Amino acid sequence: MYENNDPSTLAYVGKSVLRKDTGEKLTGTATYVSDMVLPGMLYAQVKKSPHARARIVKVDTSKAKALAGVRAVLTGDDLDYRIGLYIVDKNILAKGEVRHYGEAVAAVAATSLEIARKAVDLINVEYEVMQPVLNHMDALKADAVLVHPDLGSYEFIEAAFTPVPKTNIANWTKLRKGDVEAGFNEAAYVVEREYDNPSVQHVPMETHVAIVRWGARDKVTIWSSAQSPFTVRNLFCHTFALPLGNVRVVVPAVGGGFGGKAGIHLEPLVACLSKQAGGLPVKLQASREEEFSLLPCRSALTYRIKTGVAQDGKIIAQKMEMFWDAGAYADYAVNVTRASGYSASGPYEIPNAWVDAYTVYTNKPYGTAYRGFGHVEFHWGIERHMELVARTIGMDPLEFRRRNALHPGSITLTGEKITSHTGDVVACMEAVARSIGYGKLTAAEKKRELASGRKIGKGIALLQKAPAMPSNTATAAVIKMNSDGSVTVNIGLTEIGQGSTTALAQIVAERLGFDIANVHVMVDKDTESDPYDWQTVASKGLIMSGNACILACEDLLRKGYAVASHVLKACVEDLAHDGENVYVRHDTENCIPWKSIAIGYAYPDGKGIGGPLIGVGSYIAQGLSNLDKQTGQGKPALDWTFGAHGIICEVDPVTGEYVVRKVASAFDVGKVVNPALLRGQIVGGMIQGLGTATCEGYIYDDAGHLLNPSFTDNKIPTARDLPMEIETIVVENSQIDGPYGARGVAEHPMISVAPALGNAIQSAVDADLAHMPIRFEDVWRAMHDNHPIDNWITKTPAGSCRSDPAARIHTPDSAISP
Amino acid sequence: MRINVTVNGIAYERDVAENRTLLRFLREDLGLTGTKEGCGAGECGACTVFFNGKTVNSCMVLAVEANEGTIETIEGESSGGMLSTLQEAFDRHHAVQCGFCTAGMIMSARELIHHTPHPTVDQIQEGLEGNFCRCTGYEQIIEAVLDVTGGYTAKEELLHV
Amino acid sequence: MIHRFSYTAPTELTDLLALLETAGPGAKLLAGGTDLLVNIRNGLVKPNTVVDVKRIPEAHAIMSDNTKGLRIGWAVTINDILKNTDIASSYQLLQTCAHDLASYQVRNRATVVGNIVNASPCSDMAPALLCLDASIEIASSKAYRTVPVRQFFTGVKRTVLNPDEMVIGITIPIQSKGAKGKYRKLKRIQGHDLGIIGVAVAQVGDGMRIGVSSAAPTPVATGNLPLDISVSDAIAVVDALISPISDVRCTKEYRRFMVSEFTRRLLVEVRA
Ligand code: FES
Ligand code: FES
Repeated sequence: MYENNDPSTLAYVGKSVLRKDTGEKLTGTATYVSDMVLPGMLYAQVKKSPHARARIVKVDTSKAKALAGVRAVLTGDDLDYRIGLYIVDKNILAKGEVRHYGEAVAAVAATSLEIARKAVDLINVEYEVMQPVLNHMDALKADAVLVHPDLGSYEFIEAAFTPVPKTNIANWTKLRKGDVEAGFNEAAYVVEREYDNPSVQHVPMETHVAIVRWGARDKVTIWSSAQSPFTVRNLFCHTFALPLGNVRVVVPAVGGGFGGKAGIHLEPLVACLSKQAGGLPVKLQASREEEFSLLPCRSALTYRIKTGVAQDGKIIAQKMEMFWDAGAYADYAVNVTRASGYSASGPYEIPNAWVDAYTVYTNKPYGTAYRGFGHVEFHWGIERHMELVARTIGMDPLEFRRRNALHPGSITLTGEKITSHTGDVVACMEAVARSIGYGKLTAAEKKRELASGRKIGKGIALLQKAPAMPSNTATAAVIKMNSDGSVTVNIGLTEIGQGSTTALAQIVAERLGFDIANVHVMVDKDTESDPYDWQTVASKGLIMSGNACILACEDLLRKGYAVASHVLKACVEDLAHDGENVYVRHDTENCIPWKSIAIGYAYPDGKGIGGPLIGVGSYIAQGLSNLDKQTGQGKPALDWTFGAHGIICEVDPVTGEYVVRKVASAFDVGKVVNPALLRGQIVGGMIQGLGTATCEGYIYDDAGHLLNPSFTDNKIPTARDLPMEIETIVVENSQIDGPYGARGVAEHPMISVAPALGNAIQSAVDADLAHMPIRFEDVWRAMHDNHPIDNWITKTPAGSCRSDPAARIHTPDSAISP
Repeated sequence: MRINVTVNGIAYERDVAENRTLLRFLREDLGLTGTKEGCGAGECGACTVFFNGKTVNSCMVLAVEANEGTIETIEGESSGGMLSTLQEAFDRHHAVQCGFCTAGMIMSARELIHHTPHPTVDQIQEGLEGNFCRCTGYEQIIEAVLDVTGGYTAKEELLHV
Repeated sequence: MIHRFSYTAPTELTDLLALLETAGPGAKLLAGGTDLLVNIRNGLVKPNTVVDVKRIPEAHAIMSDNTKGLRIGWAVTINDILKNTDIASSYQLLQTCAHDLASYQVRNRATVVGNIVNASPCSDMAPALLCLDASIEIASSKAYRTVPVRQFFTGVKRTVLNPDEMVIGITIPIQSKGAKGKYRKLKRIQGHDLGIIGVAVAQVGDGMRIGVSSAAPTPVATGNLPLDISVSDAIAVVDALISPISDVRCTKEYRRFMVSEFTRRLLVEVRA
């Protein structure tokens, strides 16, 4: 799809075209599912578990059922359906046992929200509280409580996942490249450390919401604030054993997703309530508090990295062990584990690599996809670790990264060869380093330090990510010409704010050669009328749907020319068009307006020819393969997008308080399609990354109760939390199969913000941080801790006397020995 | 309780339960769904409207409190199909992504411009801090407000290297 | 909100007080609602009557007077304080604290009296009011009394108010006029947040006073300290006043440390 276009010939691609969906969004007329009310609609509410793990002794719904206005009441005993994206492990309502705080135990539908709430209050659940397993490292111990004793009997996708029955391991992803032990023997230094981060909530401003009507003859219509309507349809039909044609999923405007609305969530429960209520439509919208624990979060991670490095700073071997906290259900977490496993080193060449990535069940709200799909979490570890290794060998961290970064000819962890078309991570790094004046303070900065008493630090972190998707992921576009010569584009990709609607309109206008005012991309999605799209996730929308749109444009032009060639009595090869008319190249007067052939041409004598012009384009990922389950080798990546962040921060050396003065972010995007949209993605993602880095995260008590399920104690960045200066930088090495050379970059801005900040803080006040978020108190404590760097070094060339690292590095007494 | 309230210049007389919030009254009783609920607890600003000339989080106001009062919402911001200059600036600056925060954001921006016609970046940040936006990272929103208040200097969207 | 209640909005103070007397503890006063309505929503408070106290004109009055000082009516909002020019010139510490309270639209609703009556340990207005020696005017249908703000709080979310009483005003004595002071609040983000701890230091007349929030069951303040008190003595006094706890926001060690550190810095700044 990549065409080496001279940018000066491009009319729309590369321009800051205004968004196509703002007319409605700016006036309050865009319709979100939260705004919808259907005739006869009932309102649902959920009874939730106050315990992390408990046996459900008895659920008494009699009072709720007796309440006037209540139309449906369901408990786990009433339902026998299990759902799950990759491992089918979750009941729609808890059966027999609750596995996390906030889990749905019963649900009601009533004629008003108030009645539904009251009814839920009237449901009495008797629990026998049991000892939960809360920490994922504890869950690996031989005597740990099993969250899913029946794991061995669950249905799962065998091509990609490996659950370990009779343990809490929902998936074990392995990767083996070269000989890691030989590499460590050869290495001059070996450095080993553990990094971690808690679960985090996505916080889309619109909470999850679904309306479902289970009509006669099992015709089901679902209106959902979902990222992936076709996935909702397919999983729904799988769960209820319905033909795909019975179920229609409609997605109007969506108030943000960030991965939390991928997959299937409230829809099955709401459907069961509708069915029970005789087919009346039922609506369920999560409260903000429910968003934190009824709905899934991002998994916590403990990441242990052991790196062997030669005297000259080249990494020889690296062993990476990831322990992902799935929470109570596997959902996306098993795939996060898989995708993070094959990307675990970050954008570095590791000749000898060993990865074990485990997804571990615990009695906590479960993890799912979140912008970056694991990469935000593990880049915290890898990019803090690269800093540590550089310091160990006394090399400038920038130089160390330069020496080890992927470059054309490098072989990735999975055996893929990097080419000049893959993108250039070093160029991104150099750009942000320049932007922040890495490595030294300017005279003005030194003056500032003196005047404020604060220390200024600068840090850098690199990043990489490829879409985590099946090797045969596919999408399609349908372009229909209207009788005024404009076109309407249908794609299954949803508009969740990322701006695909606009970017794809640009690509269509560009490829068709039409005025963009005449290109309409449908915002609302409907599985009955839109062509299939796998999911709106993974930063694959622009590249895949963009390609499908280009193919559909070509199809449309071909079909249009076929009709025009008859009318104009010319060969198709001799035709051209200017957006308004199709004409004969060397006889330009001989022309026909598009609108005259848009829905079929009528000859002067009344005879018709052609018919409605519809272009169709299908695109499937090419050249990808499944990964070998033992070695992790294969080709998983449609495209790698590389990037880097550079941060300047100012830290109070006494209190640990800090402010972020500047963030410079650079990405090799292949080709910028819309600069203003791209900047929106970069800045929005970067700020979301700063949230993760500075203040967000789940806090539990010893019994597994979530203590901060609201904005009171789970802060997110506000307008005042912007860095004083933001620079957004792009590198453009065309993606060979990207539309106009473009590649995806929706998730990437969020990745590696945290380690860039951690590295900057360390350079300012020598606070050595291994945990994010980085709260002021953490910096304060780290400044006082002063762990000697030797604690993490297990081998040095001199073999000099070091403190015993085994005493420091926590080794879980795990049930598994690789 | 029966209340009289003027919303976007239109007088309404309605019976409303005492425990109904102004937000739900606007959205469910009057069908003005442009104003959104992001938390229902006074933290996120998605529900910001003007109540007797001042911005409030409408999820933390009772509808009955608005008796004899005036309310302005996003639905009153444009007129005759024409966007206001503020809305136009939001469009020009790509200050909208998912759009869920937009109504509240526009209300707060209007209030800010009303009491500080030429705000600095700091003042804009402070005026908007009560409105969460999870998508944009706020920068383009701040630029849109600077643009309508005369403080905006155009710059390149991106640095190409 | 699921809980049902009746609503009334008296237009005369006497009616309001009479109502309080008959209604009993089931009546809850609604001013800005930033606390009450959240609590009703979360099921923590279940009033049978909500009494809107804002329809009485004098509720909104701010009176500044050269003999009596400053009087703030019971429904004066935080933004009213921030817009008042008398307060800006003579009671600047009030504005400094008000400015750090929540977000703009919350400040349009939240009242000074509400911020005190809630008796939250993390009140932003309390440190200023404590330093400025405010007194709280309390009325019932039968009696009127004033209580120094220092004696107003009796515990976490508890005050000296009886069920039939309400706060009808806050007075700041003329002696506190022109006090110069600073407030510093530790937050988790730059944007609006509850205080992790807050410290106000004010030079009032010939004394130095230090008020602290979020570090004890109630907001606390020192008495009149000598103007030239050493930093370490001042810290010792404050340190003895507080009894911080660990919670989701931070640990008690950090709270204690930050109270000392803010005290140190503010003392220097206020003296400068
Ligand atoms: S919905 Fe009202 S402040 Fe969030
Ligand atoms: S545009 Fe999505 S929350 Fe602001």
